[in-house]
This record gives sequence, structure tokens and C-alpha cells, in this order.
Amino acid sequence: MDVRRLVRVGAICGAVTVYFALVGLTDRFAKLALVGSSVTMGRLVLVIAPLIAGYAVGRPRTRSGTTVSLPIRDAVVHGLVAGAIAGAVFALFVIFVDAFGVERVRGVFINVSPAMMEYVTFGQTAVVAALILTAASAVAGGLGGGYPVLPVTLRKPTGSAVLAVFALGFLQRIVPIALDQLNVERDWLYSRRLGGLTWAGAVVVAAIAASLSILKQRKGDRIRELVRAPSVEGSTRPSGTQIVVALVLLGLVLVTPLLVGSVISNVLGFVLIFALLGLGLNIVVGYAGLLDLGYVFFFAVGAYSLALLTGASLNTFTGSGPPAVSADLNFWVAVPIVMLIAAGAGVLIGAPVLRLRGDYLALVTLGLGEMVTVLLRSPWLEPLVGGPSGMRGVTDAAIGGFGFQDPVHFYYLGIAFVAFAAFISWRLASSRIGRAWTAMREDEQIADAMGVSTTRYKLLAFAMGGAIGSLGGALFAVKIGSLTPASFELLVSIQVLGIVILGGIGSIPGVIVGSLVLVGLPGLLREFEEYRLLAYGAAIVAVMLLRPQGLVPNVRRSRELHEEDEAQDKWAGDVPRDEHVAAGISPEGTGAG
Amino acid sequence: MTIAEGAPATSVADVRLSTFERLPWRRIILVLLAIVIVAVTTIGIYKTLTSPEAANYSGEFWAQLTVDGLSYGAILSMVALGYSMVYGILRMINFAHGEVFMAGGFASFFFANAYAKSGFLNSNTVVAVLIVMTVSVLVSVGVALLLERVCYRPLRNAPRLVPLITAIGASLFIQNSFRGFFGPQSYGYPRPSSLNGQVPILGVHVNKIDIAVLVVAVVCMLVLQMFVSRTKTGRSMRAVAEDREIASLMGIDVDRTIAITFAVGGVLAGIAGVLFGMTFQQIQFTSGFTLGIAAFTAAVLGGIGSIGGATLGGFLIGVLRAVGPVLILTGFGIPSVHSLNEAFVFLVLVLVLVFRPGGLLGTGEAEKV
Repeated sequence: MDVRRLVRVGAICGAVTVYFALVGLTDRFAKLALVGSSVTMGRLVLVIAPLIAGYAVGRPRTRSGTTVSLPIRDAVVHGLVAGAIAGAVFALFVIFVDAFGVERVRGVFINVSPAMMEYVTFGQTAVVAALILTAASAVAGGLGGGYPVLPVTLRKPTGSAVLAVFALGFLQRIVPIALDQLNVERDWLYSRRLGGLTWAGAVVVAAIAASLSILKQRKGDRIRELVRAPSVEGSTRPSGTQIVVALVLLGLVLVTPLLVGSVISNVLGFVLIFALLGLGLNIVVGYAGLLDLGYVFFFAVGAYSLALLTGASLNTFTGSGPPAVSADLNFWVAVPIVMLIAAGAGVLIGAPVLRLRGDYLALVTLGLGEMVTVLLRSPWLEPLVGGPSGMRGVTDAAIGGFGFQDPVHFYYLGIAFVAFAAFISWRLASSRIGRAWTAMREDEQIADAMGVSTTRYKLLAFAMGGAIGSLGGALFAVKIGSLTPASFELLVSIQVLGIVILGGIGSIPGVIVGSLVLVGLPGLLREFEEYRLLAYGAAIVAVMLLRPQGLVPNVRRSRELHEEDEAQDKWAGDVPRDEHVAAGISPEGTGAG
Repeated sequence: MTIAEGAPATSVADVRLSTFERLPWRRIILVLLAIVIVAVTTIGIYKTLTSPEAANYSGEFWAQLTVDGLSYGAILSMVALGYSMVYGILRMINFAHGEVFMAGGFASFFFANAYAKSGFLNSNTVVAVLIVMTVSVLVSVGVALLLERVCYRPLRNAPRLVPLITAIGASLFIQNSFRGFFGPQSYGYPRPSSLNGQVPILGVHVNKIDIAVLVVAVVCMLVLQMFVSRTKTGRSMRAVAEDREIASLMGIDVDRTIAITFAVGGVLAGIAGVLFGMTFQQIQFTSGFTLGIAAFTAAVLGGIGSIGGATLGGFLIGVLRAVGPVLILTGFGIPSVHSLNEAFVFLVLVLVLVFRPGGLLGTGEAEKV
């Protein structure tokens, strides 16, 4: 038994639990019940780090090419020890706070409240609570340690059962509403009083998930063949099954807002706006490899130019007044003009910074993005954009009286725009332009030598990315109906970057998944709202360290990755480096020729 | 401008560039931009000095503004040194260095505040400030080492943009962790009473705190200069910056040297955090971000990677930031120019990177590639 490793992993995970408590996650999630009244999010926060500690020490490890798997008893014991150490670290923290006085600690760490202490001590004395916490963490660690060495026939069903239960527990603000809309009896599944799943419901969900998983194990190949294989050998036309699957998916996408009600549709609206921004940034960062940290610029250009073009008015002390320049166009006439303006703006800010190397480019664009916010607030541009108080009365993109400001209606508008942007991105990726971008991203000097005009294609990337991003801004203006500089902070750029990176740089489905996770989840769990930015930061770091290709990697790049892997295996080189190359970030940044 | 792409290689006529394309457009645009900037600056300064408001601005006003700028510049220099040293050794921008500064300043606030309440800060100023600075330095060094260990060391050989993106994530993470720990509000950092008030120097009333900041900063920089040029560790730092592989062949522990570089940056940032708190008497979880950008600008302006450059850049940016907006923008009748200070710094950053990415003391053109 590698005791030092166990202690190290345990101590780190214990520190993570303490961190959760100090940041306030434990307290904030205390009341969010997942299953019954006893499995709450707060308790999950307490045992998740020990569980991971157990998993980390129990999982099979690869040493110099051979994978060594522990016998299950050893794995459980290792996990138990690591979990117990993690629990003990947190227990020490609890004892310390108790001995030192909650109020005194609270003077510094605002989240260490009597209520939180009550919650983590279960109303017992600190010493008893410490024992309980250590024991519970040890159990969690043992489970975590045993899980990865279970035989696969057992592991997969258990894993999916647990995941399904927790997923449905998290979705307690959506699924019950949808069931109500469908007039399905739901009291057996979700408890009205507690919010989470009932125990009976959890068992049913677990059983369904486990049996699906077993079915997939037994018949998985057959199903995959049905969905994937073309009906006729050699034909590229989709098979009947594929069409059915696609139609079902499309149907699901289209009926979602009707099922989930306007609150969730509202959240989905923001998901779609950020997906549009992500698709735009994906062209700049993912396709052309130019790290743009000032993307909020295009968001602002889109929103404000749409407002000006469609006759919005300024907020002033006396009520409202007309801006210095304005037109009174229809939304649908204005949108192409907005895109043109944004493309022009992209060329304008792209031109002076073209020759800069990757990281400098990032910082210049960061500076430009920050200046946007300052300019929007400045008294200088007040006659045009209203200064700090902003604008209001942005047009509703109505088509013949059918307004889109209602969240459910807006969802369809958003879907249409996202589909449009995704289509353009998809066609661009494999076009001549897309290939030029790829070449430029991989090696700028060689691309230049091969006759790719890097200047032209960089400007084109800024213009295209800007035009698509401005659509996000335009939709945002329509959705909110009024604009203030507060919506166009620098953080928007970083949020969009987070979305692109989490989903997978250069991957269109990745952007959608990224915005669902990073915008959708915090919007759904009210408790999480405060920690949104924390989550963005953590997600960016974690993805870059653990999975640089993102959640839904770009197909071509993951294929490149595998080729690299095979080549690497022969030479036993460092794979991580190539993973990053495959993730679409060229080795030398974006060096200029 | 390169060959029109898509031209078939067989036809010579197609390869020939048109006169329009042969013009050095980039250079023309840059020269025009430079002319516009010089013109705007000159007109702005002229208008400010001849405007009726100029009567309110005495010579002492400008002198005080300059001293304020120098003191802020001293703080910037200390943070900029952290950026510059890390860049020199790893060729990467430690975007989260501003948070290292904020972490130390924020953590030390709780000690400073307790001492201020108990009266210890005023009765035993030197001891109290030393303790507060020690706390700040310890926290900053801790955060810097943690960053290096968790975020950068695993990415040592990754493409250049990867650690930069990670650093942005880390910056966001640290900022919001501190927000979670201590709350979003701004705390009033105490200042020892002996540093309140002004003293006349050459007929100009100068804030005592500004003098204290300048003295501490200059001492720190001298010590750093000695450390880097005279000690064995300093020599190994320079060796690793020169060539990492050869340094490791010469028996230098590269990982340890890099960690020490981060730690030294953390020490300076920690001291700067206390100085910042005592000068502006406030600290907040966002304090590190804007100051970090300003410090980075300073490092780039001076020539990133060079210690002298970071120091020079820090003082320059400090003075430019304090004097520039008032001197140039007031003339155009723009109200509340002080709110534009940060934007002015960003503008300087963009211009420096566009016109002279190598910085004043840097290598100029070579840095661009």
C-alpha cells in the first residue's frame, strides 16, 4: 500500500471539502433535496471529494505502458483509507471552527455561519460530528475505490443507475413541470413537499437506467449498426432509421419550450444567445486559431446597432429621447445590416493587430473589449447609446403580429438563428476558406508559403466571427428589450471563451453543449447562480488540464489525435502535448510570418 | 501582402501583384494612426493648458499628480516584475498574477484591521506593518506556488496558448473564490496614523504614504536586483531563462528554479498588496484584475522579460495613467476624466503592442514572431 499517495490524495480532497464549505457551497445547497429528505445536494458536497479520493486511489493505473488493476478488496481498502483521511481533514476543520468560535471565524470567512455549522455537525457536538464525518467519508471513499475495479457487467449498470437518479434529481425544476404539462401523474416520482425524487421514484429510475445499460451492453452493436450504417452499401444517403432518429431529435427540440414552461424557456433563450456567441467565437478561436478575449465587442455592436437601427430610444432623466443617429427599420431588414456593421468592425479591429503573436493578440483584444464597456458608459457617446442608463424600447422581431418577446416564442427565434449560424459554420469548416484557416492555425509560416494569404484569412475570420456574434447581440437586444452597459462587461468574453473551450475548440455541437452546461445549468439551479463565474473558471482550467479537446471534440481533430497517439506509441513520446495540438491550438501560438 | 491565393502556379501573369496590392498597407495604416495619435495628443495638451480650467491647475497640482502617479507606478512595478520574471523564464503570460497580488492584500487586510482596532497598528507601526506584510507575502507566495504547481507545470510543454487560457480560467477561479470566502463588498483597509497627512518637499505637499510606498518599493527592487545578479539561485534563474534544457544539463533543478521564480513574484506582489491597501484604503476581490492589466501593460511597455524594463514601465504607466487623461482629455471638454484612467491604460497597452511589441528596453522586432 502506497501510504504517502493515499495520504496526499486524501489530504487534497479533504482540503477541497473545506474549500466548498468556506466558499459557501455546503450551506447554499443544504436545502436542495435530491432523493427523499436525506440525500441532499449539501450532503453530496460533503462526500463528493472523499468519493473522488477513493476513485483516484482505487482506479487501475498505467505505469510504463502496462495497466495494473488492484484486486477489489485492496481497492476498497485503499479508497476507505483515502476517504477517511479526507473526512478527517474536514473533521479537523469543523473541530477547529467549533473551538475557535463560529462568530469569530465568520468575521473573516462570511460563509461559516452557525447554520452551516449546525448542518455539518448534524446537531451533535463537534467531536461526535467529526467521527460521523470521518466514517461517512471513509464509506464514500470505499465505494469510490471499489467502483472502478468492479467487473464491467456490474460497473456500467450501477454507474448509469446512480447517474440517472442524480441527473433527474438535479432536473427537479424541469421534469415535474413538463410532466404536469403532459398531464402525467408525477407525485410518485417527485415529492411536492421536498422537491427532489421520492425513494420509490428513485428506485424505478435506477432500475430503468440499469436495464437500459444492460440492454446496451448486450445489444449495443446491433443498435449502433441500425442507427449508423447506411441502408445501401456504399451509399452516403442516410438510412431510414437515421432519418427517424433525426426527426425524433428535431421534434424534441421543437416541443421542449411547450413542455417546460416560460421560466425554463427563458433560461433556454439565454442558452441560445450564448450558443450564437459561442459559434461566432468558435470561428475566430477554433477555426482560425486567433485567441480573441474582447469578443464582447461584437456582442455590444450587435445589440446597440440593432437598437439604433430599429428606432429604440435613450433612457434620460426626463424619460426617453431619440438617439443622435437612428433609423426605424424592421428587425428583419436591420439584421443583415447589423451583420455587415459587425463584419466591418471586425476588420477594423483586426487590421492593426494582425501581426501580433497569439498571446499578445489575446491581450490587445482584451484591452479593446474592456474599452468597449468604458466607451458605452462614457459621457462622450451618451447622445448615441445613452451612457450608463442605456437604451430601451428595442423592437420586437415580430412577424405579422407574432411577437418574440414571450420566452416560448423567443426560443423558436433563437433556434432558427442558431441553426442558421451552425449551418454556416459547418459549411465554412469544410470549405476552401475553412481549410485555409486550418492551415493557418496549424502553422502560419507554412500556410503563408503555400500561398494562403494569412492577412486576408485572419481578417475574414474576424469578420465572419464578428457577424455571427453580432446576431447574438441582436437577439439579446430583442429579448431584453432594453440595453445597459452592465450587460456588456469583459466577463462576457470570458464566458463565451469558457463555452467554446468546454464544448471542444472547433466543434459546433460542442458549443451547444458548452452553453447548455455553462449557461443552462446555473440558470436552472437558482442556488448555483452565485457560483457561475467560479464554475467558468474551474471548467476552463479543468478542461485545459484534463481534456483539452473538450466535451464534444471536433471529429477531425480527435481523429488527428488518434493518429498522433498511434505514432506516439511507437516512440513513447509525451502524448499531452499532442492532445493540445489536436485540440486546435497550434504549437507556436499564432505566430506571424 | 502575399501572392493572390488561388492563382494557378502555371500562369506567371496571375502571380504578379497589382500595384494596389504591392503597397505596404499595414505600414501606411500604422503611420497614419501614429500621426493621428500625435496630433490628438498635442491638440489635447494645448487645449487643456489654454482652457479656462487650466487656471485651477497650479504647478503644484501637476507635481502632486505626478507623485501620486509615481507611487501607484511603484506598486505597478512590483507586480509587473512578477509578470516579467515569469515571462522571462517560461515565455508565458501569467494572467493570474493580478490575483496573486489581490490574494495577499485581501488576506492581510484581516490582520491589519484587527491591529487597527486594537491600536497595535498605531502604537507599534513598524512591527505591525511587518507582520501584515509577512502574512500578505505568505498568502501571495502560496497562491503563486499553487498556480504554478496545479495550472502551469503540467502544461510546461503545451502550445503557448494553452497555459494562457488556463491562466484566464485560474484568474476567474481565484477571484470568485475570494468573493466566496470574504464576500463581494469592498473592505476599508486601515492606514497607520503616522502615514496620514502630507509633508512639503521642495515646496510641493506630498502625501506621506506615497513616500513610504516609494521607499519600500525601491528597497524591494534593489534587493531583487541583488538577488538575481549576486546569488546562486538568481544565477540559476537567469540560466533557466536563457536555455532551459542546457540549464538542466548543467545540474540546475529547473522545476525548483521555476517555482522559486513564481515565489519571488509572489513576495513582491504580496508586499505590493499591502502598499496598495494602505494607499487606497480599500480592497475587494476585483482589485487584482484591473491592476494586473495595468501592471502587465507596464511590463510590456518596458520590455517584457527584463527587470529594468518592468520597473521603468511601472513608473511610466503610473505617471501616464495619473497625468495623461487630465492633460490630454480635459482639453476636449470631456467630463470626469478620472473615470477614463483605466481605459487610458488599455489604450496605451494596445498602442504599445501595435507599435512596439518588444517594449522600450526589449528587442523590438524580434519579439513579434
